[in-house]
Amino acid sequence: MGTDTVLRAESIVKNYPGVQALKSVDFDLLRGEVHALVGQNGAGKTTLVEIIAGSVPLDSGTIYVEGVKCDFLDPARSIELGIQTVHQENQLVEDITVAENILLYDLPRTSYRLFSLRSCIRAADQLLQQLGIDVKPGARVSSLTFVEKKLISIAKAFSRQAKILILDEPTASLDSNGKQALFSLIRRYSALGLSTIYISHHLNEIFEISDSVTVFKDGVRVSTRRTAETDVNTVIPEMIGRSSQSLYVRDKTARQTLAERSLLEVVDFHREGTVDHVSFSIRAGEIFGIAGLVGAGRTELAQLIFGVDQRESGSLLLDGKEITPRTPFDAVDKGIGFLTEDRKDSGLVLIQPVYENITLVRLVKEIKARIRSFLNPTRERSAAETVVKQLDIKTPTVLQKVINLSGGNQQKVVLGKWLFAGSQIIIFDEPTVGVDVGSKSEIYRLIESLANDGKFIIIISSDNPELVAVCDRIGVMRTGRLCAELEGNQITEENIVNHSLGLASAGKEEST
Amino acid sequence: MKLPLRRVEGKELELNLSLLLFITILVVATAAWIVNPRFMRIGNLINILQQISVLGIVACGVGMLLISGQIDISVGNQVSLMGIVMALIIERGGRIPPDAANAWMIQWSIPFAVIVTFVLGAVLGTVTGLVVIKSRAHSFIVTLALGSVYRGLALLISRGGSFTLHGRFTLLGRTRIMGFLPVSIIFLAFVVLLTTVLLKYTRYGRFLYSIGGNRKAAYVSGIKTTAVTMRGFITVGLLNALAALILISRVGTALAGTADAYSLDALAAVVVGGVAITGGKGTALSLFLGVLLIGIVGNALVVMNVNPHLRGILIGLIIIGSVTFSGLSEHKSRT
Ligand SMILES: Nc1ncnc2c1ncn2[C@@H]1O[C@H](COP(=O)(O)OP(=O)(O)OP(=O)(O)O)[C@@H](O)[C@H]1O
Ligand SMILES: [Mg+2]
Repeated sequence: MGTDTVLRAESIVKNYPGVQALKSVDFDLLRGEVHALVGQNGAGKTTLVEIIAGSVPLDSGTIYVEGVKCDFLDPARSIELGIQTVHQENQLVEDITVAENILLYDLPRTSYRLFSLRSCIRAADQLLQQLGIDVKPGARVSSLTFVEKKLISIAKAFSRQAKILILDEPTASLDSNGKQALFSLIRRYSALGLSTIYISHHLNEIFEISDSVTVFKDGVRVSTRRTAETDVNTVIPEMIGRSSQSLYVRDKTARQTLAERSLLEVVDFHREGTVDHVSFSIRAGEIFGIAGLVGAGRTELAQLIFGVDQRESGSLLLDGKEITPRTPFDAVDKGIGFLTEDRKDSGLVLIQPVYENITLVRLVKEIKARIRSFLNPTRERSAAETVVKQLDIKTPTVLQKVINLSGGNQQKVVLGKWLFAGSQIIIFDEPTVGVDVGSKSEIYRLIESLANDGKFIIIISSDNPELVAVCDRIGVMRTGRLCAELEGNQITEENIVNHSLGLASAGKEEST
Repeated sequence: MKLPLRRVEGKELELNLSLLLFITILVVATAAWIVNPRFMRIGNLINILQQISVLGIVACGVGMLLISGQIDISVGNQVSLMGIVMALIIERGGRIPPDAANAWMIQWSIPFAVIVTFVLGAVLGTVTGLVVIKSRAHSFIVTLALGSVYRGLALLISRGGSFTLHGRFTLLGRTRIMGFLPVSIIFLAFVVLLTTVLLKYTRYGRFLYSIGGNRKAAYVSGIKTTAVTMRGFITVGLLNALAALILISRVGTALAGTADAYSLDALAAVVVGGVAITGGKGTALSLFLGVLLIGIVGNALVVMNVNPHLRGILIGLIIIGSVTFSGLSEHKSRT
């Protein structure tokens, strides 16, 4: 073993009932490198890094850290060994402050060996400022948004001098600013000789930040290469077993006849401090994107529209008729769907089986439609099986509890729930977070076919290429306001970024 | 560590807990049978069912509520309070001289008491539900407080004394159909069946599980979470009313604290029956087996002539055993 191998995993095997998550995987991490792991949802990436982080026990195999064999890894031991992890699912303690979470492993103490919240907050504040993260260290974690929690998890990992940094989809729903900030941090740390394991489904990130890239497929390591010596066209076929030719490209030329279609108007939605008098309108069959930086008020806007949050003003008009929902129940009843961005928090009932999650909204609607109130499990299951096939959800059966699925497959379950709920108006908030390249295309196709069926589609996303690929029009939000609407050939990543940063004067429809 | 009990599918797990409970029940029954063959007599088995009918009815309500993520530890006090009120009415009715002008009330005091009890059950359930929803406090705390209120009310009404039915209204507690099958068992069977159907075959049941599993996700999916919670508490109140009628009918007198022990016994039965204290999990079948196990242990000790004070210790151990089993079989590497 070379001296610059910081971590070596040898023939790691991990089985779950019905699933072989890792089938004898070898993996080497070199000093100072950023090593990317890529692969389809359920390929075993998270399982490998969780084993290294000590949070999942392995069935067989050996882990060496700096040449020393490590038996009995648990999270505390792994941290002692200098391994810091940003987990795919947030693992923060919700009911204590941000500062305490960040410094949980070595909380600062006063000279009397007592805990002092004040010095804790001071230390955390310093760290957050260093990292350029704009979150109050005294705030309770439960009051944070999804992305803020992600940022705090990252800050936590950087709070301790580590040798190995594990980042499992750290950029999921981060905006371009956040990504760049994270990348410069990673670069700074690799310059100091720190090694990073980096998992992401965004291949452009992989090629931007990594030194080497390992491809996983179905629990097997397919290849490891220097990033410089490979490219997307080599990696994608290895990942998904087919070429990238079949990836999604939307044909937007056929979309001229929308003018006579029915019209959905979002009028003057407002809530002090988050959403500032936002109005826009969509034709049936149109896909409307909402871009912007984190904190621009996009999720908040969706919550106002759906009736999750109290609004100060705002109405929703369908062909001039008011349909503003009062509560989510009312919204679902009126044919509105809302895929929330935080699947663990408000998307899924994790301890329920896949099929019960997928059919939940349907059941709500049927109750309202006064269809007899007895369940039909056979029908439910076969409906769910169709969804599982269509979205390529990797699960032994539809009876599997959702908590046992990989992150990306969990996301597909929430998507399945809303794609097949039969809503007329659907708001997708970060629909493809954590979903692999191959499945994304399939999801975009499904969304497009919904639009072709005359539904109204709103997509909120921090993934600008996604918006550019899928949307007919894009509204850009900044500090609570809808500051630009882009369409046709105005839709470029550059325009989106400029408008979200407030640098643009280019947009014709600047409504200031 | 390899966990032998681990299963992929929720279904199998539930089955296993039911199976374990069933085996335990068989073991206890066999032990009692060996020590005293009278245990297995049909008469004694019917006795056991009759004894657990009140607990079973209360536990069904508590179990459904707990599946939706709410806990109610005031159920015993509710039953006591309703028992007092109904016994009061029947006792007063019985004291009217048969030749008095209002003698017709003697006949009507019993149906009147039954109606009042059910109305009171609905009211108590509504009050509990409203306070839980409006205060946004944890239902454990709320029902701890309300239980104290209900106990106080029962004491106030009874002035610390008791009310006696004087042999009237024995239908629910003592009557046996064809001198054989107690009416209370029929009510128990009916309630258990109802619970099974609700939990397993209706949308309402599914909503209970969803709300208990993730309230926020259920809310965003369009479920009226507060309405479902309200219904859950009212169901508990109504089942408590039924339990109160059966209990007082059987015992014949009502004291302010007659049924207080059911608060914790019902919770114990429900937890032994595999309902997770965090909500979202549990089935009607294992719930019933939990009740049965707790009932059988008490009876077996008496029949085996063992010190009945052992009951508490045994039940404690059973609870620990059952939750440990659920914990092991549910052990998951992801949090
Ligand atoms: N606790 C568990 N119980 C059962 N199966 C599990 C469990 N955890 C993971 N699995 C299975 O192991 C496989 C690998 O999962 P893993 O989370 O490592 O995938 P991943 O590569 O990280 O995918 P993603 O890109 O979706 O995050 C999946 O098929 C998943 O269903
Ligand atoms: Mg993963």
